[in-house]
Amino acid sequence: MTIMRLLLHRHRLMIGAWLLLLLTLLGGTVWAYQDTYLTPEQRDAAVALARADTATTLLYGELPLPGTPAQMYAWEIGGITTILVSVFAVLLAVALTRAAEDDGTLELIRSCGVDPRNPLRAAVAVLAGVAAALTIGGSVVIGAWAGGVDGVTWLGATMLAAALGLTFLLVSVVTVTLAQLASTAPTARLLGLAIVVAAFGLRAVADVRDAGALNWLSPLALRASIRPFTDDRWWVLGVYLAVAAVLAWLAAVLCGRREYGAGLITRSGIRDVRLPVRSALGLRLRLARRSTMIWTAGVAGLGALFTAMGSGVVEQSRDGDVGGFLGAQLDTTDPVVGYCAYTATLLGMVVSAYAILQVLHHRQDETAGRTGLIVAGGVRRWALLLAQVTAAVAGSAIILVIAAVTGAAIASVTIGGDSTALRMFTYIAGQWPATAVMAASAALLAGIWPRATGLAWLPLLAAGTLALLGPLLNVPQQIRDLGPFQQVADPVTVNADWSGPAVLLLIAATMTACGLAGINRRDLLAG
Amino acid sequence: MITPMAVEVQGLVKRFGRFTAVDGLDLTVVPGAVHGFLGPNGAGKTTTIRVLLGLYRPAAGSIRVLGMDPARQSAAINRRISYVPGDVHLWPNLTGHQCLDALAGLRGARDEAAERRLTDDFALDVRKSVRAYSKGNRQKVILVAAFAAPTDLLILDEPTTGLDPLMEEVFRRCVGDAVAAGRTVLLSSHILGEVEQLCDAVTIVKDGRLVESGRLADLRHLAASRITAQLTGTQSTTVTSGLRELGLANGDGAGTDLVLSVPRTQVLPVLALLARAEAGDITCTPASLEELFLRHYRVAAR
Repeated sequence: MTIMRLLLHRHRLMIGAWLLLLLTLLGGTVWAYQDTYLTPEQRDAAVALARADTATTLLYGELPLPGTPAQMYAWEIGGITTILVSVFAVLLAVALTRAAEDDGTLELIRSCGVDPRNPLRAAVAVLAGVAAALTIGGSVVIGAWAGGVDGVTWLGATMLAAALGLTFLLVSVVTVTLAQLASTAPTARLLGLAIVVAAFGLRAVADVRDAGALNWLSPLALRASIRPFTDDRWWVLGVYLAVAAVLAWLAAVLCGRREYGAGLITRSGIRDVRLPVRSALGLRLRLARRSTMIWTAGVAGLGALFTAMGSGVVEQSRDGDVGGFLGAQLDTTDPVVGYCAYTATLLGMVVSAYAILQVLHHRQDETAGRTGLIVAGGVRRWALLLAQVTAAVAGSAIILVIAAVTGAAIASVTIGGDSTALRMFTYIAGQWPATAVMAASAALLAGIWPRATGLAWLPLLAAGTLALLGPLLNVPQQIRDLGPFQQVADPVTVNADWSGPAVLLLIAATMTACGLAGINRRDLLAG
Repeated sequence: MITPMAVEVQGLVKRFGRFTAVDGLDLTVVPGAVHGFLGPNGAGKTTTIRVLLGLYRPAAGSIRVLGMDPARQSAAINRRISYVPGDVHLWPNLTGHQCLDALAGLRGARDEAAERRLTDDFALDVRKSVRAYSKGNRQKVILVAAFAAPTDLLILDEPTTGLDPLMEEVFRRCVGDAVAAGRTVLLSSHILGEVEQLCDAVTIVKDGRLVESGRLADLRHLAASRITAQLTGTQSTTVTSGLRELGLANGDGAGTDLVLSVPRTQVLPVLALLARAEAGDITCTPASLEELFLRHYRVAAR
């Protein structure tokens, strides 16, 4: 119990912020589905289109019939929440287990004479508690709309929330198991996220290629098995709870069989390598090399998945009417442009997360005293922060260009048509100014208010909500067009409008400059 | 031209919100000296050091390091400073050698021969990943970087924490070499033996204020010496009355084991008194740094 309380206290901010985000997303969007379509005919058309739309099927899964507002909600918001929940699960699971081992707090706990099995049990108990909180909280915030929104029932709400809670539990327990194999927290995090990506890919293939059975293997596909607001198959919950229990037992066994701080995956201890750097930028680029390569592979893979699966939607749309739901999703007259923009927006969000994480390293280096160490060697502190932003922006450019080339190559084969490849390339690579803005806003915080660098996620959250849920939340088109992920100059249009990207870069430069000025005026954080 | 002091601080004030960490501190370090910087935990030593490095902005006071103002010229100053922080965190995914490369590369000045020599002296395996290093080994990486860098001033914040006695010895030799090469050392430490052995001058701080500062030899003279002797009953009576005449109250009066703490001016009369009384086993020791230190620290505890 004491260990659980310690863990909860230590990570209360992370747990609280994520739960707030998830429950706000779940509870704050239900109403919007009631009013989106005025007549049943409109809705039927939209449902038919959505079911045929590969892009959204890939991202959210298959929209069940008849497509009541509740089903649409569970499909779309449920899909977004599932992805967020699984990322949260990986981060929290590693923070509770492997990270505590890395920073030595677990050693302290073990040295107090507790049963060596207890820390892992406590971590799993906290994860189960968070899963339960998600389930109960989700049931309440969704179920509260029962009667107000067509198709929303308390049972369905509970099933959807339980599916999300169970996704959290499964992903986190898998991560805890993998964390027993990894030798460090970053490796464990990487393994966990790789599992999430694989599970997402499995789910996407299952839904797009009509191979529904595969969905049973993916912890991100519980909605397809439980079918909340459709069949409400509650017994599925029991099956996966049993799976989670088995995985937790496996983690405990693995944990008991290894030494403290050890893992199965280790790098050789002795490496005679050098690091010829002459500048802060050189050091930063070198330190970011490994993670940039991993992100490049991940984003390019995601881009390839989307473009490869994208032929269907474009075919469908070329044949006839694009309107209603799909129109709102794709949001343009030309389906190819719409699909390119949609894919690029998603990739832009992912790369923005990379850029923000890169800049946030500055804060970590500062609290750990590494910044002080470098500044004490005669490097100017603004130069350090500038190096960090430059590395993040350069890394984003590399990731986007490689993803764009991959996407363009695949699109020219699968989608075809005039200038499709050029468009796919431009739309993906064109997300670069938006990622620069995200990096710059993180730099602004790191410069002037380092204790609040967590707020660096807010611009991405806001821009992501605007891009994905803007149509649903009835945000006027003019405002949605202002979103950072929408600022791409179409290369095929005669008078391509470059003002959007230019404004974004100007904003990024200004925010970075303010951050650089700020860091010179304050004390460095204590090491 | 007068050579500037290596460090010259007057009336330094540093506040964190309402808390005043350093309150009107003066600190002067003569070029070419080893200057001890002492004080209990939380006295403001590290805060002062961070101000010297330009990591913190002072609220008030005049600060000169190598003749320049760290608030405005920290980069120029720091290129001539080697800094060893009290708590060393390196990049966990780099090897020791890569950390040395990074630190020297960013400074833009390097003495690789000295680096190799020091790596050998400290028996450091630089091919290992920082993650695999113990606290002492991380400390060694930063000590090698600090001593090998071609700098004029070394600022060492509790540099020997985590080092084994053998390595402490290597460290002392390095400080000696540094001074012989004309470098200046500001050494913050809790290990009094180390300070006593290495330092020419010390500054003692407490609660962010200066308590005592000066050459170690002078401070010793200011402090009381310790005189002990063996007395018989009659001798004891004579000595007690003699001490009373000198204005020194002898606690118990009639004890046979005499232990006295005597101000420097009174040492000779007391010794004469004991000699006249023919007391046995007379010893007289000048104050150790530890006694100096404890006298000031204890006040804080009250």
